[in-house]
Parts: sequence; C-alpha cells; structure tokens
Amino acid sequence: MVVTDTFAKFARRMSSTQGWPYVIIAETENPIRQLEPEALRVRAESMMGVIIDGLTLPPREIESRLKSVARAEIHPQGIVRSATPV
Amino acid sequence: MAQAQIQIRGESVEELLARAYERAYEEGWTDGLPIIPATPGSVQQFVAASGRAADEVIGLIPPRKGRATVEAIAVSAVMAGCRPEYMPVILAAVEGMLDPSYPLEFMQVTTNPMTPFLLVNGPVRKRLDINCGTGCLGPGWRANATIGRAIRLIMNNIGGALPGVYSKVSFGSPLRYSYICGENEEENPWTPFHVERGFRREESTVTVFKASNFCNISGGEGVGPEEILRQIATNMPPMYGGGDGVLLLLGVNHARALHEAGLARRDIQRRLWEMARLPVRYFAEGFAATERAAGRGDADTVWRARSPDEIYLAVAGGPGPQDVYIGAGMPQTRAIRGA
Repeated sequence: MVVTDTFAKFARRMSSTQGWPYVIIAETENPIRQLEPEALRVRAESMMGVIIDGLTLPPREIESRLKSVARAEIHPQGIVRSATPV
Repeated sequence: MAQAQIQIRGESVEELLARAYERAYEEGWTDGLPIIPATPGSVQQFVAASGRAADEVIGLIPPRKGRATVEAIAVSAVMAGCRPEYMPVILAAVEGMLDPSYPLEFMQVTTNPMTPFLLVNGPVRKRLDINCGTGCLGPGWRANATIGRAIRLIMNNIGGALPGVYSKVSFGSPLRYSYICGENEEENPWTPFHVERGFRREESTVTVFKASNFCNISGGEGVGPEEILRQIATNMPPMYGGGDGVLLLLGVNHARALHEAGLARRDIQRRLWEMARLPVRYFAEGFAATERAAGRGDADTVWRARSPDEIYLAVAGGPGPQDVYIGAGMPQTRAIRGA
C-alpha cells in the first residue's frame, strides 16, 4: 500500500478490518498534492525498496517483521479516542 | 448473556452510578454523556421487547466489522436511556443502515461529519411518543433523544468509529448525538412519506438518510406559493458534501399554504429543483467540475439535485413560518416489526 504518512496508521487499521494487518505500507510525507512531477518522482523512487519488499517477501517474513509494529499501530496503548489523529 | 461483563462496586447509589459512568467513559463506550449501566437483567428485558433472539445477527458494522446482534444492540439501547419498546425502531434503523447501498463504512471513517438521519412514520410514532410536531428535532422528547443516541452508540461501540482512531472526522457535529423525528402525518395534506415509498399507511417504518447538515429556513409567511418556494430554494444552495439529495421537512403552515394553492408534491419537487441553482461563477472551479460530472451542473449553472426525485419531501414540526432543509440522500426505508 502506498500512502502519505498522515494516513499510514489509519491504512493499517482499515487493512486489519479486512483480515490483513501485516500489509507492507510505503509512506511518504504529507501533503503531495502540490508537488511537480519531478519532485513526485523523487518521492516515488525513495519508496521503491519498501514496495519491492511488499511484492517479493514471503507472507511469513512480512508478518514477523511487522508483528509488533502492527500491534502498536492498530491498538495504540492507552488511546481510546483522540483529538489528534493517532 | 454473550457480551463481556464487568463488575462495579460502590458504597452508595451515587458512587455506583458515578463509577459506572467514569468506567464507560474511560473505555470509550460513551458519546461523552452519562449512560445508564447495561445490566444482564435490563438487556434481557430489551431483547424480549424486540421479539427476536438475542444472538440474531442483524449485520456487521464497519469499520471494525462488529457483530450487531440483537443483544449487542440492546446494550447500546439501555446505555442510551431508551425504553425497551423502542427496540424494534432501532433494529429497523440498523437494518436500513446495513443495506449495501447505504454508505455506512464511508460515514464511519470520513473527515466529513455526515450522520444518519431517521424519519419515523406510521402508528408507532404515537405509541412510542416520537415527536413529529412542535420541537420535533429536540430537545425534550425521550424517544427522539434516546433512539438517535442509541444509533450513535451502536456506530461507535459495535462499529468502532472512535474519533481520531477509526473516525477521521475533522469537526464532528452536534447532529451526531441524535438526529431523528417523526413525520407529522396528521398535518401532511399529501400522502405520508412512507406511503410514497410503497408502504401502507397503517404500517410503521423508519427511513434512514445519509445526512450532512441542518438548516432551519425562516420566513415566507403570507406571500404565496411561489415566494415560499423561492425562500426555501435560496436556502438550499449547491454544497460540497451535501450531494445525493435534499430532505425538506416542510413546516405545517407552508405545507397547508402550498396545498391550498393547488400544488401537488411533484410540483413542489420540480419547482425547487428549478429554483435551487446558481451561476457557475459563484463556485470554485473544482467544485463546479465535480458537480458537472455528477449531473448537477452545466457550463453556466450549478444546481442542487440531479433530478426532482432527489428532493425528498416530508412534513414535520409545529406551527410557524419555518422549514428545515437537510442535505440528505440515499434513503433506506424499513418496516418496523413488532412495535
């Protein structure tokens, strides 16, 4: 999944509701709307490593890499509701 | 009882109630207001009043895909302060919200504060004292206040739409506490809303809209049908996030005046559709382009609904030169069983 950082944790939560909390997420800094094609290309190239991991690593390896990350992102400790998106 | 149970102790009734509220708030189970603690006995009573089995699954509520069993819904209804006999209305509303064409998942997570609006029709309004007249959008009526509140608690507690975590709503809305009224069928000179949607007059129904706002329209007294409609139309301009239709709750005075002038429901829909439009130069180009793509604009003008059919009319409220416009659409109507 490719997202801006504002939506990364939300993306993982939504992914977990669909049964796959360990999706590989390639992030880039928000916002990107104003970027020219050349700047966007730089951003995209900087995410290529993560994207290739997502396309090539076996699911078991992805799960082991992301297990603790996913837990913290999906159920942040001590957070029930938040005035600042978490 | 299939729901998880917790025990709370207190030295007095006051302490017990305060602890129950504090615990529910800490767990994220409330809308911020105090709740009635749901006990096994009270939940059982509510399930019995529904006439359905406790473990019957009405559906899965997004985004967390929470199982909306009759029992889980009863828990929210008790917490919201409902009476047991409200259960059939709540269940029918949840059934409507779970229709695949209703945008419940989008509503649960988006930054826009859209929320369900419930319109109740039929004899159940009188039996449950659901206000459809003076002050029908609140506050002051237990059925209106608590049925709508139960819907919100169901969305949050079963569906998981907790602000800032799953729900990305930027501002939220006071309409998210409770947004419901009955139709004032007794003052509706045309056919009631649910009859228009294919139900029998003696049936009770609840219609769930996707609603984006609330706008009370004042004025248009003693000026004739064309001016009444113009006054209404100028208060319902094209708006971002308010697509998919318009629900106009016509006040009883205006309903009577328009009817006496010989206007049928269809005439009102058509005239409002023609009048509620503005020159394209009033809008940002991005918005105008979106509306054109949605069939609500051309090179010169942007209008409020794709067709007169998307202007839904009901009569509600008490006497006075007032109407209510709600950016609302995608209605789902369900029969209320066993109320």
